Amino acid sequence: MAREDRPERGSYKKFFPPKKKFCRFCQRNVKFIDHKNVDILKKYIPDRGKISPRRITGTCAFHQRKLAEAIKRARLLALLPYVEN
Amino acid sequence: MRLYETGFLISPNVTEEDADIVIQQMADVVTQKNGKMAKLEKWGKRRMAYAIGKFGEAYYVFFHYEGGPDIPAELGRRFRQMDTILRYLTLVKETQQNIRKKKKAADRRRTRDMAAGRPAEPAAEGGAPEPKKNEEA
Repeated sequence: MAREDRPERGSYKKFFPPKKKFCRFCQRNVKFIDHKNVDILKKYIPDRGKISPRRITGTCAFHQRKLAEAIKRARLLALLPYVEN
Repeated sequence: MRLYETGFLISPNVTEEDADIVIQQMADVVTQKNGKMAKLEKWGKRRMAYAIGKFGEAYYVFFHYEGGPDIPAELGRRFRQMDTILRYLTLVKETQQNIRKKKKAADRRRTRDMAAGRPAEPAAEGGAPEPKKNEEA
């Protein structure tokens, strides 16, 4: 593509603004994340089995701390994997 | 007295009846030490996310109980002696830690109420903005 044809910097954002992320736990006013609730925790560990960063999921700092703790506890009880190939 | 939660995995090579006996023994430990069993969760045989030893599945059991600190210590001691227990995890469930306080806002509201000569709201921490707004409007 020629330099002139290239879209202006930021124009993509202008016409397709990225969807605003928000904390799903704050939305539901969750105060405690249970390590036995595997279905919820699974949403925060993609294919590789690593914990998704806040940057990606939009989780707030408070709930990210709780979430990380819950995931680590679930891993100990073999409810969630440490690594996945 | 505190609330505890203990989860443990029983190896799958024991029969269902034997697993029940083990669970009953552990539940007896709680009652013997003057603990109060609040909830007993049995998930049954379940596939594990990774193999422990040579087992791919295990019986999942969770105890929720109230009592002194000697109960989890005793349970842990017994779990370590039994080779049918693959893993265990004990947590202290704090009722206070789970509450996310909006301290500053609640304090401000309380001082304002005191200044206005009204008694402090009982649910100041929970935050009940609706009646407040009506008063101001």
